[in-house]
Amino acid sequence: MPVGMISAIYDLALTTGANRVIRGARIEHVCGDPNLGPEKDYAYGMRIVRTALEALHTSVTGPTLFDPMDMALAQEVSHAS
Amino acid sequence: MAQPRRVVHYVNQFFGGMGGEEMAHVGISVASAPVGASRALQQALGEHGTVVSTLIGGDNYVSEQRSAALAAIMAHLQQLQPEVVMAGPAFNAGRYGLACAEVCKVAQGLGVPAVTAMHPENPGTLSYPADVLIVPTSATSVEMPTALAAMVRLALKLSRGAELGPAHVEGYLPRGIRRLYDRQRPGYLRALDMLQAKLRGEPFRTEVPIHAPETVAPAAPLADLSRATIAMVTTGGLVRKGNPDKQVSANATRYYRHTVAELRSLSGTDWEAYHAGYFNHIVNANPNYILPLNFLRDVEDEGSIGGVFESIYALPGVSTPVAISKRMGASIAEDLKAGGVDGCLLLAT
Repeated sequence: MPVGMISAIYDLALTTGANRVIRGARIEHVCGDPNLGPEKDYAYGMRIVRTALEALHTSVTGPTLFDPMDMALAQEVSHAS
Repeated sequence: MAQPRRVVHYVNQFFGGMGGEEMAHVGISVASAPVGASRALQQALGEHGTVVSTLIGGDNYVSEQRSAALAAIMAHLQQLQPEVVMAGPAFNAGRYGLACAEVCKVAQGLGVPAVTAMHPENPGTLSYPADVLIVPTSATSVEMPTALAAMVRLALKLSRGAELGPAHVEGYLPRGIRRLYDRQRPGYLRALDMLQAKLRGEPFRTEVPIHAPETVAPAAPLADLSRATIAMVTTGGLVRKGNPDKQVSANATRYYRHTVAELRSLSGTDWEAYHAGYFNHIVNANPNYILPLNFLRDVEDEGSIGGVFESIYALPGVSTPVAISKRMGASIAEDLKAGGVDGCLLLAT
């Protein structure tokens, strides 16, 4: 069963061998950021969760980082093309 | 020459010469003349010790009827009055390894020193690292004489009431016990010695050993997210408001399962975080930060995932030893599997 580990200390998760690691926001608020205000906070959290689901859907060969920011960029690029 | 020490040896049905798996059901029996592996042990002891009796237990019997088996073993030990108990070696046989560790604990409970031997990856080593003296062995019985010799050395020492030195000197598996003593040389000099040795490419022994993490083969990806049931586990110390289950805030030895079948999101009026390892205030206002139920419900509504699993799992992920974490992780994974979960999100603070 694939597991997506969402953590702000993502490098620690990677070095200890978690195979699908999703970069979380901060230790105190892993899925989102209250400083952004309600709308952007929700959008950020949703982006993290969607990235995590995408990680479950992706084949990996060892510890791999999925960065929600990269995914957003990748999506923008694909939309632009 | 000192009197030979009175040794009681514990073996399973195979090493007791009764048979293999077909005899694994047999109960506890006593042989007064050395049988099976006990003959080899008697040889290794030579004139320093006598195997006064061999206790034999079937692997299945001892693991399935644990309390009855241990009660029988205790009664025999009380009657036999050994000066030291030796169990195994169990090599990489899991049930046997666990039984050996249990037998050692029973003996120690009676004030009799005990030693066993097994492969470092035998489950018996994971359960009792601090309580039981375990000599590391190869995975199979090819190194029986080496294992017995190492056990004998420790057993004789223990039976004389001598104190053991550190694990790497005496040749047993580290028990995670740290003793205070004077190394006769201050820490900064010892650190410089190690650094110089390292730079010269010479061997040195760290004073802070770090376990290399285990590698786990990645699971295959989900073929179709839109039909997958997704579960959530958090190590953020999520509890019901007021912590009615009395979860500890660190060094957890258990996890909690809550149902979220009726919930769309987690509210700060019903849930909060109790975790000694981070500032909980922000999560208390919005617990979805450590268990993103609200997001998963929205994703479920739009049909991107098949469903959200009805149970969530929570514990405070701080200070718990790896062995205990592994046990809890395995237990959660079994639960998820039994519940038909396809994929899991693990939220770590």
